[in-house]
Amino acid sequence: MAPFVELEQLRKSFGGQPVLTDISLTVSEGEILVLLGASGSGKTTLLRLISGFETPDEGAILVGGEEVTDLPPERRNFGMVFQHYALFPHMTVADNIAFGLESQKMPREEVEGRVSEVLELVELSGYGERRVQEISGGQQQRVALARALAPHPRLLLLDEPLSNLDPELRERTRRQLRQAIRRVGLTAIWVTHEQEEAFDVGDRVALLETGSLAQVGPPDELYLEPSSRFVAAFVGRASVLKGVLKAAGQIEIGDRRYRGHGVCWTAVMSQDLEAGEEVEVVFRPEALQLAPTDVDEGLAGEIEERRFTGEATFYLVKLAMGERLLVRGELDGPDVGEPVSVVLRSQGPPPRCFRSADGGAE
Amino acid sequence: MASRTIRAGWIMVAFLIWLVGYPLLITLWEATGLPGDFTLQHFVEFGRRADEWRALWQSLWISMASMVLAAAIGVPMAFLFERTDFPGRQILGSLIALPVALPPLVGVIAFLFLYGESGFVARGIQRLFGLASAPWRLSGPGAILLVHAYSMYVYFYLFTRAALARLDSSLLEAAASLGAWRWRTLRTVTLPVLAPALAGAALLTFMTSLASFSAPYIFGGGFRVMTTQIVASKLNGEIAMAQVETVTLAALAFVGLWAMRRVDSGSTAVVGGVRGLAPVRRQLRRPLARWGVATLGWVLALVLLLPHFTLLLISFVPPGTWTVEIVPPVLDGSNYVTLLSSPERLRPVLNSLWMAAVATVGAIALGLATARLSIRGGGRLGRVLETLISVPWALPGTVFAIALATTFAVNLPLAGRMVLVGTPWLLPLAYLVRSLPLTGRSSLAGLRQFDSSLEEAAASLGAGWWRRLRRILLPLLRPAVMAGASLAFITALGDFVTSIVLYTFDTRPISIEILSSLRLQETGVAAVYGVLLMLVSGTAFVIWGRDQRI
Repeated sequence: MAPFVELEQLRKSFGGQPVLTDISLTVSEGEILVLLGASGSGKTTLLRLISGFETPDEGAILVGGEEVTDLPPERRNFGMVFQHYALFPHMTVADNIAFGLESQKMPREEVEGRVSEVLELVELSGYGERRVQEISGGQQQRVALARALAPHPRLLLLDEPLSNLDPELRERTRRQLRQAIRRVGLTAIWVTHEQEEAFDVGDRVALLETGSLAQVGPPDELYLEPSSRFVAAFVGRASVLKGVLKAAGQIEIGDRRYRGHGVCWTAVMSQDLEAGEEVEVVFRPEALQLAPTDVDEGLAGEIEERRFTGEATFYLVKLAMGERLLVRGELDGPDVGEPVSVVLRSQGPPPRCFRSADGGAE
Repeated sequence: MASRTIRAGWIMVAFLIWLVGYPLLITLWEATGLPGDFTLQHFVEFGRRADEWRALWQSLWISMASMVLAAAIGVPMAFLFERTDFPGRQILGSLIALPVALPPLVGVIAFLFLYGESGFVARGIQRLFGLASAPWRLSGPGAILLVHAYSMYVYFYLFTRAALARLDSSLLEAAASLGAWRWRTLRTVTLPVLAPALAGAALLTFMTSLASFSAPYIFGGGFRVMTTQIVASKLNGEIAMAQVETVTLAALAFVGLWAMRRVDSGSTAVVGGVRGLAPVRRQLRRPLARWGVATLGWVLALVLLLPHFTLLLISFVPPGTWTVEIVPPVLDGSNYVTLLSSPERLRPVLNSLWMAAVATVGAIALGLATARLSIRGGGRLGRVLETLISVPWALPGTVFAIALATTFAVNLPLAGRMVLVGTPWLLPLAYLVRSLPLTGRSSLAGLRQFDSSLEEAAASLGAGWWRRLRRILLPLLRPAVMAGASLAFITALGDFVTSIVLYTFDTRPISIEILSSLRLQETGVAAVYGVLLMLVSGTAFVIWGRDQRI
């Protein structure tokens, strides 16, 4: 599909401090792209460049083939949902939604029709005359979406739209937002710092690491085929061990002369690595399993912590060699303090190894 | 976009310097004999004259004494109204803050009618003891101090009340739990926490008193302070001397402003750390104490409000009917009829109204624009703009009057000077400059609380800057802007201090007409003007007070 939004080599710095370095990215028509990143990663700045509240130092932004880089926000026709909603407190729900339509000089009769149309879309029919302070946080959120959708924007931008909601409300609103955007068939760019939210709503996820793109792809790709140790550790639960590459796909960890202190495991190489190189191996908890202490090719240790999250039980194992591994196990597994061995699970997602960067294993 | 803001900000800085700072520099420039030969002769002359030193000294000690007296009234009142509860506390509590909103001249003539030699009190005492003449003349430093204490206690009252309301009750409880008695708590906890507020009120009183003109002018007689000395020099045609005096007074005020900023920055550190529940008001259990405190509160409030009632009463006394009686024998509306039916007497009212309105609208626009540029520009630009907009507030009105009269008496367009003296535009300009701190600071306060994402939301919905201003910014800033505007309007409407230097016959404002009515012995008409000012000011003050709470 032809790209609808094209970001070309965007750079932005504030007061000499680079915030975004060389961002290039495309979004297809009708796609929901999530910008994921920790605070300070530049995701909000990137969204503000796209919306026009900031201008890039270098680079271009194209939407539908038209360059909008220097266009002021009011002439871009992008809908925006703000983190704190930014509903106009001195207007009713309907006035808020009508605001963008009046900017387009839409006739009054049509405005009314469009307002009730979008209110219906966000399941708030009959709330038009309420004051925005009189409705709940979740409803305010949907009004903010309705207001952004009303003028038929070319592109919808959402800045951490759920961060102001209670956790239980967040999941429901997330689904409603996603459905509403899908129904209209709009292209959307959604900023969040929550990986679960990103995976749930995004067709593709762009992970930002201190101002540059770490990886862009569908959620399963980011989870199963992370392109760097950073991505692997940021997305989902993971633990990291240091090792040495013996042969292609064979990693030696620890000292194999002592039983339980070293193993040789198979792993997927995410980069071109040469035999003898030091690597870091990233394990998903479901790639590992607990075994009796006398097992072969296992790392010995003892249970340090047991975390029950409802859908699974996680065991934090303190290895005899000093590091820790997070292992997904059974509900009726060993107790804290019990000696165990950790082995590779045969059906789990394979561990991935990356060239060793300096820094401790965690 | 950002660089455009910065550029507009520095253009505004240049404009404000022209409006606020330049006239002062021109005054200094001309006081040193320039553009002719540079000379310090006028300053030497100033230093040589004993009466100049006396005026300077009298300005200083009157201001000190006013500060002490105002504190002596205001602080106990604040404790009484904030820490105890009695019937009528709330309504009295806000009523006694009213004098702050009244034009100083109105307070002065109200005092004259109440405590002056032919006022109610003097008449009563004269009759009571069968004296041949009035027991006193209301003049000299005593009279000035009386008026100052009466009108300036409000600063101490309001500041102390606000600080007491913010006082964290856990501090008091902590002191009590550590075994401190009430006096010790007051001395070691309450007062130190109040210190920044008290220092702020003290400086404000000092500066207001230093700038005070109405009371020294009406009651001073031969007793001159700097402000009255300046006006006297100007009227005597000693322009250079008036300029030197103006420069001296301005320097004094700048020292005050500098001290104020220091106190300001200190107080935020102290108050910023205090957060929690305000202490509960002491419910007085014993009926005797309860009624005692209530009576005290009512009597104090009555004494403080009595001058205004007097003014109202005098406005209903027909001319020539009140001679030797203690209370006026006849009351009717003839003074109001006289004023309303004579175009010549209505003229000053209309003058004041249009000039104050024009000045207020200008001050709102300029104040809002400056505040916005200050906040969007931030950093050094923001601080420079904020300081510039505060300068007129710290400078006595007399200083500005002389500075504007000096600057706008010649036509030198290239030097940024034009002839405005003698035109109807000088007074509104002077009012505007003096109102700028009020509208500017309230706009700043409003904009600081304004969520900028609201404006971004409007922009993302396709609204251009004009629609954003009209539909989003102005409606949401209205409370803050209205608060500043209403204070600006009353200040301009009742202005006496700049008017007396700058008015022409055609633009004479209410205050000047009050003065000439008094000279013509038309006390009733003067009182009607006073009542008019009081009503408009009171209304504006109520608007201000209501919006303060939003």
